[in-house]
Formats: sequence, structure tokens, C-alpha cells
Amino acid sequence: MTQVLEKTETKTLTMAAAITDAMDVMLDRDPSVVIYGEDVGNLGGVYRITTGLQKKHGEDRVFDSPLTESGIIGTAIGAGAVGMRPVVELQFGGFMMPAFDQIFSHVSRYRYRSRGRYKVPMVVRFPVGGGTGLLEQHADSPEAYLAHSPGIKVAYPSNPYDAKGLLISAIEDDDPVFFFETIVRYRDPKIRMEVPTGYYNIPLGKARIAREGKDVTIIGYGGMMQNIETAADAAASAGIQCEIIDLRTIVPLDIETILESVAKTGRVIIVHEATKTAGIGAEIAAQIMEKAFYELEAPIERVCSFDTMPSPFNSLNHFSRPEAHHIAAAIKKVLSA
Amino acid sequence: MATSRRTTKKGAADTANHAVFAGSMPVTSELTPFQILAPDGTPVREDLIPDLDLVEEMYRQMARLRHLDDKFMTLYKSQKLGNYAQFGGQEASQIGSAMALDQNLDFLCPMYRNTAAMITHGWSLKNAIMYWRGHPEGWRIPDDLNILPVIISIPGQIVHAAGVAMGLQMKKTGGVAMTYIGEGGTSQGDFHIGVNFASARNAPAVFIIENNGWAISVPRKVQSGVDYLMRRSEGYGIPGYLVDGNDILAVHTVAKKAVQDARDGKGPSLIEQMTYRIRPHTTGDDPKAYRDENGDPKFWAENRDPIQRVKRFLTTEKRWNDDREVAMMAEIETEFQAALEAADNFAAPDPKALLEYVFVNPPVQILEQQAILAERIKEVNA
Repeated sequence: MTQVLEKTETKTLTMAAAITDAMDVMLDRDPSVVIYGEDVGNLGGVYRITTGLQKKHGEDRVFDSPLTESGIIGTAIGAGAVGMRPVVELQFGGFMMPAFDQIFSHVSRYRYRSRGRYKVPMVVRFPVGGGTGLLEQHADSPEAYLAHSPGIKVAYPSNPYDAKGLLISAIEDDDPVFFFETIVRYRDPKIRMEVPTGYYNIPLGKARIAREGKDVTIIGYGGMMQNIETAADAAASAGIQCEIIDLRTIVPLDIETILESVAKTGRVIIVHEATKTAGIGAEIAAQIMEKAFYELEAPIERVCSFDTMPSPFNSLNHFSRPEAHHIAAAIKKVLSA
Repeated sequence: MATSRRTTKKGAADTANHAVFAGSMPVTSELTPFQILAPDGTPVREDLIPDLDLVEEMYRQMARLRHLDDKFMTLYKSQKLGNYAQFGGQEASQIGSAMALDQNLDFLCPMYRNTAAMITHGWSLKNAIMYWRGHPEGWRIPDDLNILPVIISIPGQIVHAAGVAMGLQMKKTGGVAMTYIGEGGTSQGDFHIGVNFASARNAPAVFIIENNGWAISVPRKVQSGVDYLMRRSEGYGIPGYLVDGNDILAVHTVAKKAVQDARDGKGPSLIEQMTYRIRPHTTGDDPKAYRDENGDPKFWAENRDPIQRVKRFLTTEKRWNDDREVAMMAEIETEFQAALEAADNFAAPDPKALLEYVFVNPPVQILEQQAILAERIKEVNA
């Protein structure tokens, strides 16, 4: 499933460092790759993910843009149409909204609209998710908007190894890829891991079985994977074997891997930090219903944030954002059905 | 609606007619739109008259595309064309500017009213007919044309053009991006965003405001309190030009300068071309509901027509006469009929087109829908 093409040497990296590494590798390999966004040049971005890249690759290839998300994404369409491969950064996923028209009217449709004459080989990277105590619009999880828009791919890695391999694939991909980076996992020491140096890729659309089990399938992605693992550990001590699927990408959605697991366990929980209604969980549940209804032993459970804006009430967030014990409660529920 | 002044001295520059130029916007400024030919075809700037072969080429292209615009209206009425955005009356504005581009190097980033500019940059009449019929092969942009897709929602193309210009700059091709927007579109955030971005990057772009006075039913004065929209160029630190958009020689001269400056690394320019939408917004629009068609529209059609202006000039210069006119119109009609026939005879749209080009590598969900589509096609053909 995973290709390690050049080197097998590894380094212990955080998620943040692995993402930086992916961009560094691709700037070296492909002269059409350019990186721009607010603060990404001299400063290295608000989360310092592009640190050092401008110094190493020059101001023509890594540069600060004016403060305009619509401008960043709209110009990436134009630059991509004439052969560049822009990898642009937004400061936060919640700041995507000023670019709504460019994303949904243009990024998603540009290739279709020109009947294949122009492709949109851009990557849009941005930090997402809460638990940080930051301001409004600094904790959003906007994946459902993007997945609902035909023509856009959505990657949402959960660990350093996947983040680097998926970002390299995203940059090489000729379709637009929106790349979600969970803020609280950027430098989470618990997920530091060995990451190959140099080039390797992980194909978009191949989910990862994070843990095998026979009793219940838990599907998640991004920063939620840690909470799912914690809940599964607790369940294991009670003799319940959870199978955990890390989607890695939401578009393409690896429904095949999901269905294989459902056939095995008959019980499904979907976890995401984004709001529940019309979220990714609803889509996955619908596809399971269409394709594996008779494999189900229990109703599908969704563990998601409440249908509100991401809560600005820092001390209350743990009632809404999925915590391990919310997932544990869902495990209990689907097993007792 | 403000009353326009309707008198122009024969042979004199039309510079006093601010109210007319500004599309009912009361103007008190010192600015006057740049002109080479007065509306009656008399040169205002003898020194800037280009080679007469070029003037004749411009005239022929304007006549050819006015004929197309007329024919498209007829086709629409007989349900042989979809909803179509007319450009008739704005031929000088679009053709004069697009003729300043190098088709091999430069990219045109069009909006829906730019059929004339697109054809001038190489789009075929047949493809134009098929595009406005909603035929997938009309939507396909041929590989040898440097034209971006037609943008309907206003004004995304301004930002794309800034990006195209950045891309051409990075690739050092020497190419330039040219894009258009109506005066209404300048009220959108993305207008500012795109022009400003290009300015910040010193990108080789030419931004053209075709001020035709109307955003469907909304007159120019509703869009902004400023007299001329090109004044915004100062806020971007780039050259701005105010041009008589119905004087193709003036339009072409200014566009050529802006394109050359961009090519020479001097960055983007903003051009406001004063014209008038003498026709409806689209074939689905009836302007009688919101304006007096015997007022400004009639005045502009009769006294400011961009084609008649050049025809008068060429006639005076002994470059044009009735015989040539008759011969040219016959050629134009023949060409159009051939294009129409080619479009009519083109294979009907293949339903498979519905699910093509969504992704380069389509996910399984698209493949499943392609299978459903194949079933539906089979049912219909059964």
C-alpha cells in the first residue's frame, strides 16, 4: 500500500516537521512547485510549518502573499492553469470562508468547465480543529463543505508518516487537494514517529487499518485518531476488540476498506470533530446502508461535535468535541444493541 | 435616469460629453476619455492613426462579430441557442483590446460577455455557437488556444488572471494575462483582490473594465460614488487609463501600451473603457422593464456606434465603399452559415460527457455514477 521509493533511512519527526519535510522534498524534485500564503516566507507561517524553506529555496519559490484567502486560492487556479504547481497555506481552516466563491465556483469546476484543457494541481494546506483555546475561526473543521463539492480532494492525516506521504501525493496529484493539519497534533510528542527521509508517497484514497478487531469498527481521521485509540484501549481491557480505520483521505473515500470491516464486525461508529448534521459521518453511514445494510448488527453511531459553531467557551469544549469517553459510550451502545 | 446631452459638434472631440460617457453618472472631473477618432469618424489625433490595413482589419472584425451577435439573437428566438449574453455595441471595446495580444504568448481570461474578445483571440465561430448551445464540445477549450474558461459568477476571473500572470512571470514566458469585467463587477471584493494581488507581485496582467453603464437593471451610479472607476488604479500604484470604449483605435492603442508594459516587466495596468450596453443583459432580459429604450440606448446606437465610426473614417480615407461593404457582408454571411452548419452537423452531445473531467483520477463514487449513467443511456437507446 505504501511506497518507499528512494531511501529507507528514517528520522524521528513530529507531524509539523514531517509536513515541512514533504514540502522541502517536493521543492527539490519539481521546479514548478511554489509555496505562498500569509507569513509563509520569512516567518515560516503562523505554525512555523514552512520554516527554513524560503531561505533554502529562494524568494521566487517560497513567498509571502497579500492578506487575502480568495486571492491566494484564486491566483493558484490561474498559476496552475499555466503550468505551476502551487502549494498554498491558509493560516486557519476557518479563514477559508473569504475564498468560498473561488473554491466552490472555480477550484472544484475548473477542469470540468474546460473539458480537461486546464487542470488545477494545487494543494491548499491549513491548520484545523479545536482544543487550543484560540479565537473564533481558529478551531473550525470545514471538511464537509469541501467533500460536498465535486472535483476537490480532501486529505486529513493523523500522524507524521502519513502526513509526509500524503502531502507528497497531494502535491504530485493533478487534482486540487485540500490538506487538513490538526493543530493539537502538530507537535504532540505522543505521535512523534520514525519517518523515512527523502521521497515516498502514500496514495490518496487508501485508508489505514490502525488496529484490527472483530467486535466493532470505529472510523475516524485526523486528530480524532488519538481519542479513538484511547477509547479502544479502554474497551480492550474489557475484552472488546475494536477495529480502527483511519481514513487518511475523505475524498477519495476508501469505502472498500470500510465495507470489508463492516462485514467482519457488523457494528460501526464514525467519529469526527466537525458538526454532526450533514457531516462526513452521514455520508459514510449512507454508503454503508446502501452497500452493507444486511451486514449490520446494530444502528450506526456517530460521535461528532454539537451543531454549533466551534465552541468559544474553552472550559466547556470537552462536552462537545469528541473525547475518548464519548467514543467509549458509543462502543457500549452499539454493542448492546 | 439623468438626461444625457445629445449634441456633438461635427469633427470635434467628444470630450465634453461626460454624462454620456459615464452612463448617467454625473461627472465633474477633469478626466476625459482618450480618443483617436471622434464619433463621426473624424480623427482627433491624426498622429496616432495606425496603418490603414490594420484599421480595415479592425473594421472587418467588428462587422463580422456584430453580424454574429445579431444572428445569435435570431438563433435564440428560434430556440437554436441557449441563453446568451450579447456584446453588440461593445465590439470596439473587446476586439480592440484582444487584438493587442499575441495569441501564442498571451492568455485571455474571459467572462460571459466576452464572446467577441474570445473569437478575436482565436476561438472559432463554430465553437462559440456550440458553447452557447451548451454542447460539451463547445465547452472544450482547444489545446492550441490560450483562453481560459468563461466565468459566469462575477468576478472570479480577475483573480485567476492575476494568477495566470504570476505563473507566466514565474515561467518567464514573456506572456501577459488580459481579463475583463463590467463596471458592476468592480463592486465585488474579488475585483480588488485580483488587481491588488497582481500589483503586489508586479505581475504581467491587463485588467479591463468595460463600463457599459448597466449591471442588468442597475445603472452605473449605483455601483460607486467615484466618477471614473479607473481612478482606483492609483490606489493600487499601477497605471490607469480612461478610454472611449467605442473608439477601437483608442482602445487598441491603450491596450497595446498596457500589454507591452506588462511584457516589459512594468507590471499590471487598469483600463476603463467607456461604452454602453445598447442591447439587453442577456437574451433572457427585457430592458424595457427598467429603462427608456428611446433614450440613452437609442442615442448610443445611433450616435456612438463603434462600427459606423470606423466605417466613416475608412470611407473618408477612400479605403471603403459600398461595393466593398456588400462583398464583405456576403463573405461574413457565408462564413457564419458554414459555422452554423458545422455546429448543426456536429454529433449530438454524448451523455458520458456529464461525468467526464470531474477528477483526473476519479474516485470509486464517480465510477459508480458512471455505471448508473451507462445504464440510463442503455435504457434510452433500447
